[in-house]
Parts: sequence; C-alpha cells; structure tokens
Amino acid sequence: MRFRALTSALVLSAFAMTLGAWTDPFSVNPGNSGCVVDEIDSDPPAYYRIDLITTRKVTGTRLATGTADVTYVPSPFGVSISPRGTYIYDLDIQINNAKAPREGEYAVWVTTPDLKNVRLLGTLDEDHHIQGRVDWNKYLVVVSLETEIGDRWSGPIVLRGMSRSGLMHTMAGHGPFETENCAVYGYS
Amino acid sequence: MIVMRTFKLCVYLLLTPALVLAQDQDMMPMNHDQMSMGDSLVWRMAPMDMSMPMMPGLENELPITAPFLPGSGMDPMMFPEGIPRQVVFMADGDTLHLEASLIRRTIGDKMFVMYGYNHQYPGPLIRADRGSTIVVEFTNNIKMPTTVHWHGLRLDNRFDGVPDVTQAPVANGESFTYEVYFRDTGIYWYHPHMREDIQQDLGLYGNMLVDPLEEDYYPPVNREEVVILDDILMDASGLYPFGESAATHALMGRFGNVMLVNGETSYDLVVDKGSVVRFFLTNVANSRTFNVVFDGAPIKIVASDVSKFEHDAWITSVVIAPAERYVVDVRFPESRSYSMTNTIQAINHFRGEFYPHIDTLGTINVGSSAADPDLRESFASLRTNTDVTADIDTFRPYFNKEIDYEINMIVEVENLPLPIVRLMEIDTLYVPPMEWNDAMPMMNWLSSTDQVEWILEDVATGKRNMDIGWVFQQGDIKKIRLFNNPKSFHPMNHPFHMHGQRFLVLSLDGVPNTNLVWKDTAIVPVGSTMDILLDASNPGKWMAHCHISEHLHAGMMTMFEVVEKEEAQ
Repeated sequence: MRFRALTSALVLSAFAMTLGAWTDPFSVNPGNSGCVVDEIDSDPPAYYRIDLITTRKVTGTRLATGTADVTYVPSPFGVSISPRGTYIYDLDIQINNAKAPREGEYAVWVTTPDLKNVRLLGTLDEDHHIQGRVDWNKYLVVVSLETEIGDRWSGPIVLRGMSRSGLMHTMAGHGPFETENCAVYGYS
Repeated sequence: MIVMRTFKLCVYLLLTPALVLAQDQDMMPMNHDQMSMGDSLVWRMAPMDMSMPMMPGLENELPITAPFLPGSGMDPMMFPEGIPRQVVFMADGDTLHLEASLIRRTIGDKMFVMYGYNHQYPGPLIRADRGSTIVVEFTNNIKMPTTVHWHGLRLDNRFDGVPDVTQAPVANGESFTYEVYFRDTGIYWYHPHMREDIQQDLGLYGNMLVDPLEEDYYPPVNREEVVILDDILMDASGLYPFGESAATHALMGRFGNVMLVNGETSYDLVVDKGSVVRFFLTNVANSRTFNVVFDGAPIKIVASDVSKFEHDAWITSVVIAPAERYVVDVRFPESRSYSMTNTIQAINHFRGEFYPHIDTLGTINVGSSAADPDLRESFASLRTNTDVTADIDTFRPYFNKEIDYEINMIVEVENLPLPIVRLMEIDTLYVPPMEWNDAMPMMNWLSSTDQVEWILEDVATGKRNMDIGWVFQQGDIKKIRLFNNPKSFHPMNHPFHMHGQRFLVLSLDGVPNTNLVWKDTAIVPVGSTMDILLDASNPGKWMAHCHISEHLHAGMMTMFEVVEKEEAQ
C-alpha cells in the first residue's frame, strides 16, 4: 500500500515537474508554422531531452539540476528499434550543482512509469555524469542516494524526470472527450 | 499536431447503431449516401479502430475532394487477371516492353480492379548485370497520365521519369522509351512519378535486381528472395477510395490496414534446416515504415540502397522506411516455422499509451533436411567490405567540412475542419519520433493535399520546396543538414529521397555513423538532425523529396541541378 502510494507520488511528481519544465508549448498558427530557424545544430534533440528535477530532500542537492540527453543507439537504420518495436536510446546524463555525498553514492535508474521494471544504469562518476541505455518508450529516470546498491533503489530519491512520451496521457474525461464515460474504457 | 493523432478520430461508438459490421473492427464501413460523388462511388467512413470514440465534431465531415477508384462501377471480369511477378533476365542492350494497365486482382475473397505492369503484381522483376543498359519501351494504358521513375539508379537524367522535368507525362495510349543504365550493384525499384498515392498503391511497382560482376561480392547463401513490402487500405466494401483531384491522408500519409508481400496477403517460403536466405527487401508503402522481425532467427545486414555497408553487422530487426531497400542474410537453424512479422509499438492517443502490435507478413517453413551446402561457418563471420571502404575513403576528407545547406522540414495547413485544427493546436506536448500506425485515421483522411503543405525550407535563403533551386557542379561534394522540426504544426518522420545521386548519412543528432553505406533514401525522425554527404556526380535536373506519397503531393519536394563538368567550365 505504502509502495503504491510512493509510486503514485513519484510518477505524478515526475510528470508535474516534467510538464513544468516543458511549459513552453509553442503556440501554433496553422497558417504560419512559426518554425523558421536561423541555424540548426546537430546536438541531441532538445525536444526529447529529459530534465531532471531535484526533490530537495537530500543534503547538498537542493539546488541540483540535471539533464538526460537522448540519442538513438547507433544502428544501420539511423533510428534504433528493438524486435519489440520500442526505441533504443542512449542516455547521456549530467547532474550539476550537487555536492558529493558524505556517505554512499548517487545511483541512476530507469524504470517504467508503473515502477514494475527497474534497471540500474550505474553510479555517477566524479563529474556526476553517466551514460546508459534504455529500450522502453515511456520511462522515468531516477537518481537516488544509495549506501548499498540493490535491484531497485532503497535510498532517498535525489532527482527524477520523465521521458517526453510521459506527456501523452489518456484523453478519457478530458478536453474534447470530457463527456466520454470513462468506465467504458476501464477507468474508474 | 500531435494531438491530432492523439485523438484519433472516431465516432464510431456514437454511430454504432448505423454501422454494418465489417470483417473486423478495423474495417468498419459507413456509407454517406448523401455524399455521393457521382457514379456509384461514395465516401465511406475511414476504416478505424473501433475501440476509441470519434473526435466530436467530425461525424459529418468528408474530404474536400471526390472519391476515386479506377474501374469504379465496372465489372472486374472485364479486365485480365493479374498474375504474380515474373523474372526477366536482361542482357546489355536488350529491350523490355512494359505496359501499365488495369487488371483484376483478388485480395482475400474479394475481386478488385487495380493496376499492374504487364498484368503482373508486382511488376516484372528485372534482373541485369551491373554496368549494363537496357531499353524499356513503356506504354500507358491507364486513364491517368503517368511516368516510370527508376528509383535509386544513377542513370541518364533524360530517363529519370519525372513529369515536366525530364519528360512530358505519358498520356493514355502513348509511349515513352527509357534507357535504363545499371551503374551500381544492388536492389532498386521502379514506380510512377505521378499520383503515386494512387498508381503505386494500386500496384504499379516492381524491382530491379542488379547483379554484381564479382563472384564473392556478397557472402554465400543458399537462396535469394526478392521481397516487396506494402500495405493497402480496405474496408468491408473493398478498396478504400482515393481522392480524385487531390490526395487524401495528407497529414500522415495513407497507411494500409492489409499487409502485402509481393502483392499477396500471405508469403510462404520452404527451406532446409540451417539455410541462409538472402532477402532483398523493398518498402513500397505510401507511408508505413516496417520493423521486420524474423522470429528469433539471426539476421546479418549486408547492403542497403546503393551499396554494401562498410561492415556486415548483426541486427535483430529490419527498420525499412518507404522507398528504402535493405539486403539481409537470415539463417534458419531449427526445423520449425518462423514467422516474418512487422512488430511495432503503436500509439493509442485516446488512452495515451503505446501498445504492441504485430502483423504477420509471412512464414518460413524449415524442413528437417540439412541445407546443402552448410553455410554455418561463413554466416557466422562478419565481412569487412574493403571495396566499399576504399570508395568512401575518397569522400572522408569532406566529412568534417562546413555545412553547405540546411533544410528545415515543416508543415503548414489551411482550411482544415475546425475540430481538427483545434485538436492539433492543443496537441503539442508529445510527438513521437516515428509514426508506425495511423493513430488518427479520420483526421488524417480528412486532410487533403489542397489543405496541407509539407515544406522543405532552405534555412539560408528562406526559400521553400521548388523555389530552392540548388545548383551544383558535377563532382561537387555537398554536406546537407536535414532538421525535422518538432515544433512544426504536425511533424512526422520523412524518408528523404534524392534522385540520380547517392549520399552518405554521416551522423544523426550529432552521433557519427560508424558503418557507412551509400543511400538514396534515408529516414529523418521527428526532432532529429541528419547530416548527409552528397556525391553530386550525375549531371541533370533532379528531384529531392519526401517519399511518403501524400507528403510529396503536398509539396515536400525540391529540384536541384548538377551542371555537367564541361558545361560548368
């Protein structure tokens, strides 16, 4: 019960923080794309970058910020796709403004939004940087402070963020579908 | 834009009582009798997933163009029955007579009028040696004007098959003679370059397999298979109509809901245990990118559009966008049936979820007899193709040159139904890198190429599409940066094709490509930046465009000229 509550809190907070970080939804004018650009860089796509937001619960990380750059794992096809049809991404994670922990180390995890699947990417190096790989389409990145690394985090969460796909959520009962009967679709 | 996909359309639940159940939930027809557009052909509700509600406000909307199907209202028995593709071995100087005409096809248990080259589906498989030139005497016996484009070939510009650029359209009853030069080994294809959304979708496509002159050009295999992947949109009433004066499905392209392999709904292959099969794969679908999986069989990728890779490589699936080709060797080690599937994560925008979706494309039945010869050992090794690397080496000094041109890929729309625009306006929070399914079939169907403009924009000049007008000198090596702008109104992946030349994909999102291959088509995912290096070696006026048929017809094309060296001097 407690785990479910924690899960919900984590997902919701990750979503809220992610949404907050992306609240620059460009206004769209169908007659004018507004998408003229002066120059194009070849950096990892800013659009899919994951902002990692501090929980402010761990000493020395109250002002911490972080990003996870998302690129495709090199593939003969450019875009990298698994046999299950999911994207395969390389994550390049950098944390800033975080002090080295007095005890333990910062561990970086990826997890599906329901927290059923958790994978350890590793621990941050001394520059608070790590690279890892994920083959889920919708996922969370979690940085925790661990004194002992297990199958999933047990220490306090330091920062967290959600893949941009996390912004895709059910329309049942919302917006143009607000009059839809959610129960028909399995929602309570 | 995204949102729009997001909300996939669908009023079905509201209209359920009026619906007639089709063969499955994805093929629900609805006749709008009041919307009859002449003859007996009427718009029917776009086939869609019945598990989602329809976007409010779209119930009575129809495309702004009339529906069209060739041979509509005519008895299919009037037309010759289509026959499976035949292989035509061509020697240098040989002549092939090629005719486009109406044929009778049976898909599932229904009979339709479709198109065919030489009454075949796909068109004849032309097999010739590298370095040879053949003559193709083409005759158009379909009502629409057409041309034949020889996709991927670096041939004489006069025979590239682009209407009003390299030739006049071939009207009904008229002919045109092509000289087709096979400069590079590999798998290529031919198709019309007029109303591809209709002509190509209804069967006007075929392969050219250009054989190497070197015996060991490819690794040894037990068998070769030339496989064309396609899809076609149908409902319970049959083929789903196209737009007559403009293409429908302009936003996402026309996704089919019935998968075709070599024009058939089933593909069966019988091989011996341990066989290594080389698949020459071509995707001729209007819009669908496939993720082809061979049921756990090991796959080695060998070549793509215009060359082999620098190195063979192990892969677990084949991601192939419209117009791309890949050559893969697959070994079937066990005596069992292997399925060949298109395995994707589709999007349900209403639920805000990805969900697994698998279409079985075919079956490879592996017998108990051992393959002869046993190629286990050679299959296990990955070759380094020094010939390819040596060729590319001459271009390597240019890899780090400054960007010569930048292209911004965007879209603009006008006069779309208001509910669609509203949805698109609010759907800005997530756009997937790739569209694997038509997640918004109704909204997509209602968008025509008169209302949607897909745009290639030259960043330096601000010029768009056919106004860009690049001019290169023969021998130029140009670095072009393609950016698929995610902040566009309705971004989508684009398979970018350049006629008559070849290019290398140097990097994607700044990540260098470490296993190069010569391409003529490459997919640019949403949000991504792709750097390509163009070998502008073939003089003439050439097209570059998105190979999603509906995007092409919605303007996403430009022309560039390669000025002949002597002329340039």
